[in-house]
Amino acid sequence: MTHWIRYTLPAAAIVTVASPAYAVQYLTLEEAQKQAFPSATKFTELQAGRAWKAEAGGRVAGYFIFDRVIGKHLYIDYAVALTPNGAVHRVEILEYRESYGGEVRGSGWLAQFIGKTSGSALQINSDIRNISGATLSSTHITEGVKRILATYGSRLR
Amino acid sequence: MAAACDRIRRARPLLGTFVEIEAAAPPHDANAAIDAAFAAIGDVHRLMSFHDADSDVSRLNREAAVRPVKVHAWTFEVLGAAVELHAASDGAFDVAVAPALQAMGLLPRHAGDDAEIVRLSSSDGIELLPDNRVRFRSAGVRIDLGGIAKGFAVDRALAALRRFGAQGGMVNAGGDLAAFGPPQTIHVRDPRAPEHAICSIAVRDGALASSARRFDPFESAATSAAAIIDPAIGKPPGEVHGATVRAPSCIIADALTKIIMIRGTGAAELLERYDAGALLIAGDGELQITPNLHRAVHLAA
Repeated sequence: MTHWIRYTLPAAAIVTVASPAYAVQYLTLEEAQKQAFPSATKFTELQAGRAWKAEAGGRVAGYFIFDRVIGKHLYIDYAVALTPNGAVHRVEILEYRESYGGEVRGSGWLAQFIGKTSGSALQINSDIRNISGATLSSTHITEGVKRILATYGSRLR
Repeated sequence: MAAACDRIRRARPLLGTFVEIEAAAPPHDANAAIDAAFAAIGDVHRLMSFHDADSDVSRLNREAAVRPVKVHAWTFEVLGAAVELHAASDGAFDVAVAPALQAMGLLPRHAGDDAEIVRLSSSDGIELLPDNRVRFRSAGVRIDLGGIAKGFAVDRALAALRRFGAQGGMVNAGGDLAAFGPPQTIHVRDPRAPEHAICSIAVRDGALASSARRFDPFESAATSAAAIIDPAIGKPPGEVHGATVRAPSCIIADALTKIIMIRGTGAAELLERYDAGALLIAGDGELQITPNLHRAVHLAA
């Protein structure tokens, strides 16, 4: 019979990770474009910082849309690759950010990130690379992809 | 002669959560391996989604009580594991609690479902036939593989990374993860305060999965429900805040977290049988760790 080893914990967590944020950059915009359309030889910006047309040998290979949605408290950057017909080819997370340690209080704290690129103002705790625990839902991304389809799906063709 | 090796990490929204895959391999190979691993997860998603009317799970729920339904080998494998775990846990693990989740509004109702079937649905009603065919013994059986399919998807994705020659890698599907190669440090959220880490655990060539009781740990719609039902009462259990299991495979780790949420420390023998270790945060706030996991757990993160 296994005997469990017991520790008494205070009401709150015994360990607080000091750093305010957890963030991972998975792919740069350019890397994501290349991943989504490996054969593409040319990306033409259709809308500044938002939408690109990918071409391979003079033919449209598809479209690439950058977007960000609010995750738990912070923005998640992602990209949707669309087929030439405007269907979803691939959804890829470019950068994931999560506040960590209860530092997020109000919109003032959040505001410092708006308009910033690649989490430049974030203090990143690089020791935290992997997290297990309560599962975060990707609902906001799903909703974002729907919005992108509604906005671009028919217009780009 | 070893080629220059990159660690590449990418993430996509799949299985209702964020799936993160890392591979250590030469750059071109690493991306091909990661693409194959994401494809495996996408396949599991399509086969085993409760929401998708074309999935194996939906076809079973519609037709398996009327006639045997042939399913994909992966679906059959997951059902086999589910039936075995149901027996091994004296009924605590039960993929047939879907009607209770529907009654709570956590799963959608499909045509033909009604509230009456809540008490009739049990894994005892799942019959596994030759040639990947499945039959339900009663019209009241409704299954949801949400408590086990994510772990299986992680295992399949990790197998894809190995098949593509990655020298190391990790797949993390919203906290259910598996890794091979160099050890990885995993921070475990406090189920009572998910913005805090309660400990870190070293994982090497194995899997780690967590479940939490709280339905809305971040008090936002961005968090999915940890929808666990105790089959004995048809409701969520109440004694354990959260459980984390380390096991050789993620499908087993995933399922064992649910059993601990229901059975608490009583799950110890089952953990031993599956070569697994666990920690749980009990309702009274005590952290309990099995001896075989104790040395891998660092409370000071």
